Amino acid sequence: MEGKLSSVAKNFTPSPIQELSQLAQRCNAINLAEGFPDFPAPPCIKEAAVSAINNDFNQYRHVQGICDQLALKMKKTHGLDVNPLTDIAICCGQSEAFAAAIFSIINQGDEVLLFDPCYETYEGCITLAGGIPVYVALEPPQWTLDPEKLMRSFTSRTKAIVLNSPHNPTGKVFSRDELEIIAEGCRRWDCVAITDEVYEYITYDNQKHETIAKLPGMQERTIITSSLSKTFSVTGWRIGWAIAPASAASTIQNIHIRITDSAPAPFQEAALTALRSPIEYFETLRGVYELKRDFCMKLLGSVGFRIQFKPQGSLFLFAELPKDCLLSDVEYVEELIQQAGVVVVPGRGFFHGNESCKYQKRYIRVAFCKSEATLNAAAQKFGELINAKACPKIVY
Amino acid sequence: MQAAECTWTHFEMLRPFCFKSPSTTPLFFNFSKHFQKGYSDSSFFRSNWRISNYPSFMATISSVSTHKDPVSTHDATPNITHQPVQVAKRMEKFKTTIFTQMSMLAIKHGAINLGQGFPNFDGPDFVKEAAIQAIKDGKNQYARGYGVPDFNNAIAARFKKDTGLVIDPEKEVTVTSGCTEAIAATMLGLIDPGDEVILFAPFYDSYEATLSMAGAKVKCITLRPPDFAVPIDELKSTISKNTRAILINTPHNPTGKMFTREELNTIALLCIENDVLVFTDEVYDKLAFEMDHISMASLPGMYERTVTMNSLGKTFSLTGWKIGWAIAPPHLTWGVRQAHSFLTFATSTPMQYAATVALQAPDSYFAELKTDYMAKKAILVQGLKDVGFKVFPSSGTYFVVVDHTRFGLDNDIAFCEYLIKEVGVVAIPTSVFYLNPEDGKNLVRFTFCKDEETLRSAVERMKEKLKKK
Repeated sequence: MEGKLSSVAKNFTPSPIQELSQLAQRCNAINLAEGFPDFPAPPCIKEAAVSAINNDFNQYRHVQGICDQLALKMKKTHGLDVNPLTDIAICCGQSEAFAAAIFSIINQGDEVLLFDPCYETYEGCITLAGGIPVYVALEPPQWTLDPEKLMRSFTSRTKAIVLNSPHNPTGKVFSRDELEIIAEGCRRWDCVAITDEVYEYITYDNQKHETIAKLPGMQERTIITSSLSKTFSVTGWRIGWAIAPASAASTIQNIHIRITDSAPAPFQEAALTALRSPIEYFETLRGVYELKRDFCMKLLGSVGFRIQFKPQGSLFLFAELPKDCLLSDVEYVEELIQQAGVVVVPGRGFFHGNESCKYQKRYIRVAFCKSEATLNAAAQKFGELINAKACPKIVY
Repeated sequence: MQAAECTWTHFEMLRPFCFKSPSTTPLFFNFSKHFQKGYSDSSFFRSNWRISNYPSFMATISSVSTHKDPVSTHDATPNITHQPVQVAKRMEKFKTTIFTQMSMLAIKHGAINLGQGFPNFDGPDFVKEAAIQAIKDGKNQYARGYGVPDFNNAIAARFKKDTGLVIDPEKEVTVTSGCTEAIAATMLGLIDPGDEVILFAPFYDSYEATLSMAGAKVKCITLRPPDFAVPIDELKSTISKNTRAILINTPHNPTGKMFTREELNTIALLCIENDVLVFTDEVYDKLAFEMDHISMASLPGMYERTVTMNSLGKTFSLTGWKIGWAIAPPHLTWGVRQAHSFLTFATSTPMQYAATVALQAPDSYFAELKTDYMAKKAILVQGLKDVGFKVFPSSGTYFVVVDHTRFGLDNDIAFCEYLIKEVGVVAIPTSVFYLNPEDGKNLVRFTFCKDEETLRSAVERMKEKLKKK
């Protein structure tokens, strides 16, 4: 049977992250690790789903109304003209939309540019499709984009660039200038931009999310992916989409049909309600998360962190360990679990660089999409440690 | 403080991983003229997005767009000149033409739909209520990637009840968005580019599509009427040490055939001899009417090399919930989970809780399901015979395949078009289920997963308007 295992299987090594995860579970730790809320989803959206189930919206379906709503939103928010009949594919979450987008355009040997650090899953999709991930490191501490470094990374084999903004894990929102630089690269090298915009409505300090698709020459070469999950706190519903030029959208739709055939039907119905939410919903969302972000920054500040990059969006704070802290990210996280009963994510899992940069093992990611109770509990734990003065490895 | 379950699923995956470079040259398709010329169908055609080679092509469109004019500034008819977003070569087979036309016709002529492979009645209340309760209880965030623990347990318990096999729900069960995704994840996770995979035609069309995505070399063995028996000699000459896997769908869509114990034994022996994996799609296992359903995994020596796939949708008439699963020994499960984590990452949470309840349904539920479907089958089969079709015996699923040639049309597609336009009934042309469409030109598929009145009306229309030539 050994010979029958795929090459994938043969390369397996267990990850330190998994061991930490198990440790956290054993210690019943306060979870500031995972990027999903521990507070309830909006009631009216849940009601819409319940109603859909009761009204027999339970067979395979495609809810065209979602496409209509998305087209309206694209026009209103970004000034983009999108044809709801041809340019949108509904998928099982942004995850599937992204996978389908990759499968739709990546041939064996195509290179795909990714910014580093980045969300884990992109690379897996690209490799599964036969593509080659090529990383362009954003430079700490501000996670700046070096235009020359970016341009040097394009080759004749580059097919696409992945752009996640607002960004997981750093919370960076790519500026208009940065989008222009990326767009220039795409136009010059005739590449496709595949975006992950799941945090599109979660930006802070009056920062606005802009999609690269609205830049000149970009709509025809951009595949936008996003979902309900983060905006409406329903990460378990698996409703996402891809918005792209008709030929790509159609192909993505065809792939989606072969991968899963249909996004969960009752939640598609509920999505109609969600997408029709009034502007106040999004304003409140932003405001609430901004407070949580600020709280979290204070929290880390109280144990000696100097946050050099304030998140401009997303649900995460990516913080460098205090200078005096000699631990690695994994060691720190382990200490935090054991001493404080709080769990966060070691940053190394987000880095893929060839450069053996020390900083890659010096970051932790904290998720603040948590209830007040959770955040207060974490604060309390930290407070105890500070007062006790008994935890030199965590308090600096 | 609620216990936090750390499910850093995306971190649990190893990285990086690379497919070994294929020892055989990957298949290079010529860039399809289809994509260059593009989707010259008008936007009206495209209003039915669900059009594809997939059996459920005529899904209900729940809210038709009220936009009369496309908002897009794009030219609706793509030009032949260079388009920046060039679609990958592997996608050239993924077309939607025939079914676009069929679906359009169906709606235009108000045809009764016995084509689409999903019920026009709903699932049981006790399962729906469980989903509603889960939503209300806040089970709306990411589930553990490979499944909610209770659900994995329920799947294992069900599998034990059905096959006698005891499996580890933590290591041997993966929950997916429907069986469709289980198939995709199995292919992408366990098949390397260039691997040989044997398929039996006619086949559910996602098999070929996902095998193409995985870069596999497909070897097809055609099952033929009247009994669609496995041609053993052909199988023996096709299977070899170069074969990576064989895919078995039983009970079988579209023919309704159920693989017999003898057939499965023969296939099993050949697989053991040649060290071949088996992927089984058993979504219709509870719709087994003429004989008992047999899982390949339960045959001696087979569990260790089999991925058994199933889903909630057909058994519980909730096809839109997308709850499926793959059962396999740990080393194969590992590959399935890898691919799954990149395809959809996690499966819909509240539905998994509901599915847990569903799988624990009493025997009476399944008995009643069978009885109901057998009654429907009787109406359709007798009706089709009375109309004059040559009806092939179907042992399982809710499909039946018939020979239409008595009615004088050239092929299955022409017949289906005629059936929609002149008779007002929809059937599926089976040629799309074959690698070589010629093999299916005499056959069309009807479904009986409809309420009895719909079935009777369809039969009446056919009796009235369908005349033998």
